Amino acid sequence: MSGSDDKTAPANNLHLVSRATYFKEMLLQYLFLLCAVVAIAGVLLIFVFVGLRGLPVFTEIGPLAFLTGTDWSPTENLYGILPFIWGSVLIMLGALVIGTPLAVGTAVFLSEIASTRVRNIVRPAVEMLAGIPSVIYGFFGLVILRPIIAEISGGLGFGAVTAWFILAIMIVPTIATLSEDALRSIPPGIREASYAMGATTWQTIYKVVVPAAKIGIIDAIVLGMGRAIGETMAVLMVVGNAPVFPESIAAPVATLTTQIVMDMPYATGMHRTALFGMAIVLFIASMALVAAVRLISRFQTSIEARR
Amino acid sequence: MSKTITNAIALTLLWMAAIVTVLVLGTLILYVVVNGIGELSLRFIFTWPEGVAAEGGIWPTIVSTMYVTTLAMAIVTPIAVLAAVYLAEYAVQGVLVNAIRFAADSLASVPSIVMGLFGLALFVDAANIGFSMLSAALALSFLMLPIVMRTTEEAIRAVPKFIRWGSYGLGATKWQVVSRSVLPAAMPRMITGIILATGRAVGETAVVIYTMGQAINLPISPLDSGRPMTVHLYLLAMEGINLPAAYGTALLLMLLILGFNLGARYLLRRNRKV
Amino acid sequence: MTNRRLRPNNANQPDRRRTLVRVAACVVLAVFVLALGGCGRKGSSDSDIIVTGSTTMLPIAEIAGEMYQKAHPEGRVLVSGLGSSAGIENVVAGTSDIATSSRDLRFEEEGFGLYDTPIAYDAIAVIVSRENPVDELTTEQVRAIFAGEIDNWAAVGGVDQQIGLVNRDEASGTREAFRKTVMGAMPFDRTAAVLPGTGQVRSVVSSAAGAVGYISLGFVNDEVKAVAIDGVVPTAAAVVSGEYPLQRKLHFFTVGRPTGLSADYIEFVLSDAVQQTVVRDAGFTPMTGEVD
Repeated sequence: MSGSDDKTAPANNLHLVSRATYFKEMLLQYLFLLCAVVAIAGVLLIFVFVGLRGLPVFTEIGPLAFLTGTDWSPTENLYGILPFIWGSVLIMLGALVIGTPLAVGTAVFLSEIASTRVRNIVRPAVEMLAGIPSVIYGFFGLVILRPIIAEISGGLGFGAVTAWFILAIMIVPTIATLSEDALRSIPPGIREASYAMGATTWQTIYKVVVPAAKIGIIDAIVLGMGRAIGETMAVLMVVGNAPVFPESIAAPVATLTTQIVMDMPYATGMHRTALFGMAIVLFIASMALVAAVRLISRFQTSIEARR
Repeated sequence: MSKTITNAIALTLLWMAAIVTVLVLGTLILYVVVNGIGELSLRFIFTWPEGVAAEGGIWPTIVSTMYVTTLAMAIVTPIAVLAAVYLAEYAVQGVLVNAIRFAADSLASVPSIVMGLFGLALFVDAANIGFSMLSAALALSFLMLPIVMRTTEEAIRAVPKFIRWGSYGLGATKWQVVSRSVLPAAMPRMITGIILATGRAVGETAVVIYTMGQAINLPISPLDSGRPMTVHLYLLAMEGINLPAAYGTALLLMLLILGFNLGARYLLRRNRKV
Repeated sequence: MTNRRLRPNNANQPDRRRTLVRVAACVVLAVFVLALGGCGRKGSSDSDIIVTGSTTMLPIAEIAGEMYQKAHPEGRVLVSGLGSSAGIENVVAGTSDIATSSRDLRFEEEGFGLYDTPIAYDAIAVIVSRENPVDELTTEQVRAIFAGEIDNWAAVGGVDQQIGLVNRDEASGTREAFRKTVMGAMPFDRTAAVLPGTGQVRSVVSSAAGAVGYISLGFVNDEVKAVAIDGVVPTAAAVVSGEYPLQRKLHFFTVGRPTGLSADYIEFVLSDAVQQTVVRDAGFTPMTGEVD
């Protein structure tokens, strides 16, 4: 359809048409190219405009003091964001630990076990989870989950652990749909071979199908990580927003995203610059995850090529 | 024997994973519906918020949400569709196409707060558009672009080759093939993708909060500011004084998004039957 | 034949009329909507009252402004919240008619001949769970608790339980007032939960036995208990008499005695129509101290 097809497609017989038509065709092709390049332009624009606003924090405060500083106190001109980086990582990891089994389990269920009928219920449900606005997740976490955590921990219920559960649910759609795609792309012959050897369904899943789809599932989990790190509103409503290293997983904590939202309404000068600096850190982190996925996939293609 | 027991346990666990996922969705929806249904009324939908605690209705926020979403859709659809046409029909695999795909993937995973600050820096401040529907729609369109691009490209690729061959055989040029045969055939799935992206835009908070402002206002011109439903819900939930209105807003918002989702699904299914 | 022809025509008429009505309704609606939108963009003129200043007082000034405009269509009230200092600067510079301020004049601002009209009290209640046996704290104890120096209720006469601190976000006017009246130079404990809303603080404190927070007195309800400070139970009367320590006045500053529309607007803000509704809904204590 694309790429190599173009060389054989009759579309290349443009020498058969009039000059006017030829120019029109070429013009359109460049217009389409221009539209496609908008995506690249978008990434560059984000980089330039968020970067320009955030740059002074790196030049004036210094990248090291900014990224590894442990004190965030704008009134004293202290802009260390390590507590937020720690908060983001802590919350992302916990959400992954809880969310991944759920998501991959659901994906395996959908591709290997569910009948068409059950699948037609579960799959839309998973997709709809992705459609629910994050504010609603946050609201639910705040009003329902937080008091439960407060009861168990004896504290206020704000903290990493509350965010874990909310985020775990929020990353299920991302991981589950992508993992399911990976599992479905495994040819049925592999499963049939396994069953023919006398393997049970679980043995087939565990020893054959999942290993074969391993790279695709890892990709899905990495993209889930991106979703977890970037999530803002839902996390903001349940973490308690203390700009410190938390004493426990049930103590108030802040992340890069939540601190930006908390401080934006009143931040001016270098404080606001620092918030843009945090946005750059987030942007680079999310791009790095996307790049990681591409590297992993390329790695897989090279293995397949060797086979 | 142990092999079958392990199998049974494992399968039960997988069933549990699926059931938990569905249950969570059910609980979320039920929770919002039970708490919000009492608040829903024509008055709630069609009147303005009043007083310090935003009692009364949420009409301006509904209008703001619809306004900005429609505008974003109008901006993003032509660009994303043409970009997808390029990727699916014209592009030759190479550095440029790789860069475009990487950029689209990156855009798709940009945290929404970053997109919000970007919109603030570029559209609100640098381009001097101010807090407005237009600034918010432009920022949202960057968020929607990769979604519409991907679904449209898939839709175009799913169009059977013989449709193209038929057109070429009649002497059509490439653009004629694309515009008269391929795009019409891909249309239902394209629309599905656009609807899904629109649903995403309706539910977005962090992007619009820094590009549209928060003042309650009924937008008329694209340069007017406003407060969308998500931001209204966020402010109500965080202030915590008027929770019934928060539940009502949450329910309306969810109905809107479920509507978009079901609409897309219906289109897709109808298309499959044809 | 003619009859037959006429009849459907007649039958059509109401339909056509209905369409006409609909079109007319749409036009009227559009004009109305445009007019509404147009309101906000007229240039400033003599009939405008420009009110600038404290974000804490934004809801009062704004909603009272809307109410005033409804009653007096000839005057327009334009309100913006830029902070108390900016408000005072603007009114001195003549770009605003009224400065709203949540603080008294600073020494250097006193020479400008500003006229002070206090319009409400902003009193802050320290709240705990109803299960908490502590009924009374001193200002020093409150300060030590919020600085993180006291972290157990046993130290202030309660049961042996960890104190769960609930603070407000830095953009909050209540936090600003609390910092000024209680904390002074003492920094807040940074491990406290930071919540961006009054209702949030109230519901969290009501559901956690060891929690303590602060909210505007007007928002205290029976979900939580407001402790007495230095032996004074927080009531509107104790606020007006000045006995209750955690309070400040909210001011309107004008250059000289207010005149014309400004005077009219300020009088309206001080009337029961605003004091007993908007001021109380915003959590503040009316100037009269009387609560219906």
